[in-house]
Amino acid sequence: MRRREMLGALAAAGALHASPRRKSGIGCGCAFAPASAIPPGSEVFKDVGSQLRITDMKVFGVTLDEKIARADRPYVFVKLETNQGVVGWGEATLEGKASAAMACVNDLRDFIVGSDPMQSEHLYQLMYIGSFYRGGPVLGSAISGIDQAIWDIRGKVLGRPVYELLGGPVDTQGVRGYYHAAAWTLEEARALRDQTKQAGVTALKFQLPDLLEWVETGRKLTRAVKHMEMLRNGLGPDIDFAVDFHARPSPTVAAIILREIEPFHLFFAEEICPPENMRAMQRAARKSTTPLATGERLIAGYGFSDLIDLGIVDVLQPDIAHVGGITALWKVAAAADAAGIRMAPHACEGPVGGIASLHVDAAIPNFLAQEICGLVEAGEMNRVWEDLMGFSAMRMVGGRYPLPAKPGLGFEVSEAALKKYPFQGTRPFPPAFHEDGSLASL
Amino acid sequence: MRRKIWSNLPPFSPQAAVTDRLSIANVRGWRLREPSSGRRYTVLRLETRGGLVGYGEGGPASAAQIADAKAAATGRRPNETEFIRHRLAASPPMEAAVDCAFLDLLGKDTKTPVYQFLGGPTRFKARVLAHLEGRTEDELATPLRRAAGQGFKAFTVPIPARDSLWRMQAYVDAVRARVGRLRSLAGADMDFVLDAAGTLTPGDAALLATAFEKDHLMWLDEPTGVLTNDGLARIADESVLPLGMGRGVTDIATFQNLLRWGSVDLLRPSLGLNSISKIRRMAAIAETHYVAVAPYHDGGPIATAAGIHLAASLPNFFIQQIPFPASDRDAAMRAELTSGSLETAKDGFAPLRNRPGFGFNVDERALDRYSEETI
Repeated sequence: MRRREMLGALAAAGALHASPRRKSGIGCGCAFAPASAIPPGSEVFKDVGSQLRITDMKVFGVTLDEKIARADRPYVFVKLETNQGVVGWGEATLEGKASAAMACVNDLRDFIVGSDPMQSEHLYQLMYIGSFYRGGPVLGSAISGIDQAIWDIRGKVLGRPVYELLGGPVDTQGVRGYYHAAAWTLEEARALRDQTKQAGVTALKFQLPDLLEWVETGRKLTRAVKHMEMLRNGLGPDIDFAVDFHARPSPTVAAIILREIEPFHLFFAEEICPPENMRAMQRAARKSTTPLATGERLIAGYGFSDLIDLGIVDVLQPDIAHVGGITALWKVAAAADAAGIRMAPHACEGPVGGIASLHVDAAIPNFLAQEICGLVEAGEMNRVWEDLMGFSAMRMVGGRYPLPAKPGLGFEVSEAALKKYPFQGTRPFPPAFHEDGSLASL
Repeated sequence: MRRKIWSNLPPFSPQAAVTDRLSIANVRGWRLREPSSGRRYTVLRLETRGGLVGYGEGGPASAAQIADAKAAATGRRPNETEFIRHRLAASPPMEAAVDCAFLDLLGKDTKTPVYQFLGGPTRFKARVLAHLEGRTEDELATPLRRAAGQGFKAFTVPIPARDSLWRMQAYVDAVRARVGRLRSLAGADMDFVLDAAGTLTPGDAALLATAFEKDHLMWLDEPTGVLTNDGLARIADESVLPLGMGRGVTDIATFQNLLRWGSVDLLRPSLGLNSISKIRRMAAIAETHYVAVAPYHDGGPIATAAGIHLAASLPNFFIQQIPFPASDRDAAMRAELTSGSLETAKDGFAPLRNRPGFGFNVDERALDRYSEETI
């Protein structure tokens, strides 16, 4: 029996775990299981798994009108179908890389089709560890989309909203949220205050006024500080406001700004510098008493481990469409909880991920607030939600998103409606440049 | 498992009042004691308004703690494990017992084994570790042979009690003689955990751990009671023998601290003091440090069965400890409580029970029979 055949036979017998004796020689040591053993290893669970099987996986790219959605972020939806008629939906939207995320979902197909969706943890491990190359936003988003769909199925089959499978709800009144907002003058900020209070919303998030270099000129430093001072004056003391630094400054520049904005008592300052180097972020974080938040670009529990261990930030912001779905968001929240770190999950994509996030939010005691990339006015987005899911875009009531009530994630996406928004390809995240033409971090 | 799709509910709505068929209506508790070893544990019986019954086990608890657990659980729905984790945080045995009973109820209500409810199976059988009773090699010999005969392939070996007058080299020799003798009694291909029960100084523990590095024991358990960062780091720094820690730990942050300092290779939360929901959170943190979870257990058979479901829900589970009674009377009691012994092994592993809830029947007459007090 040749080596390939031997390994194939062992895999088919579910015996690869038994460390078959390796033939010595020169080679990469890679073992390729044949199609008959897919999903790999599934046979060993035949007596202890459920009868439910995933029979098909579909990926949808969804491009909205440019008036309401930026061209860099078509939605990527994942649909899983089962042998018992139950289907699950998840979202794998990745800004600027929709085609790559869609392709990566398909790359994971052999792990998923034929598998038992009750085994959410095992399938998560299969996609993350079994992929060999771990982490990264493309794989993270693909896993996220599939994982959410698996939990959707689990909830529907068990007859419970997903947060009830995660130990929740912690608070039946719903999930506190915040909207994005912009105000450039004191008058605008005051008008925004009135509009926000009328809507019952309790928290907002703003941007910095300028792009920033790694050392900055006096003019831009002053403008950044004055902008936040103006916002606090205009919004008054009752509205929590966060400012998203969006990884524009270096730790050096962030530290200067953070020093001066302490008296304005921000809700949090987000991504005060680029996210890759935790110890660099710590340089600025040590000097500040303003609560700091980060995490939207980090993948899986592993991506957050150093950040939590080093105690750098006060708030973590994993994105359920990138971090690894419900499984990973819950794990990050559990680690953060033990370290006294709060959760404000990021969500700047579509409706499926937004709703999936609410389920985890509702089940974690260290939850702070949920981002949704909506403004105080819902506008055109309502029509898209009506089209896709049959109800209007989720809105806060008294500052909170009411909890989804149906089993699973709590909605069905209309496949027919998706055809109205055919995939138009993806555009890169739009770049920005400093006055000398060098590339800025936006 | 076939379910209809729900269509008549609004997509978002406030939670309904918590008085449905699944809310807890009655709670009953038994304080149990094994006749020979005197080992104590508590079993709770939770009944919902709809008449569904779930059982949970925790460590020894007072009547007042059981009454408090009853107050905490009554009117709650069994999905509210996060509420219970916080509400009963100061009463670890009851936090463990109520959470266990909640999961039993959820599994039974959804006609799903608990490990599937929790996202498993991640494995189709769970490795088990027999905790042998006895202090001397002669006392350990009989239960060791019996456990090996019943399919166990891993065992704990207590270290001899040490006083400071016992020279270290002579002490290491004594430990080595004990391990050697038990190894030869057990036969080939058996594994051992050296249990120090928190009795050594960090310095002695480091020396002992270093001396046994090449014996390929599975790990050194609870090397010291000196739980300072520096004391523990010393043991971990000097030796490559894996260290198991945490049988008395009841808060997640303590484990997080051990992981940060790199001074633990296996988390050993006790099933009697930590709920399954809490251990799952500990495991999520351990996972990012490439550290495995091996729950400690010195309680009864219901928690053993629950522990196997926990094991099948975790990606980073390694082994589940099971008390292996030296006395036939204790063994009989444990088997009676669960209507037949669940604490068996085959080739070193326990099977999963693919039945709703934890998948066995509790015999309430047996609970009454062995109860010191029923609340």
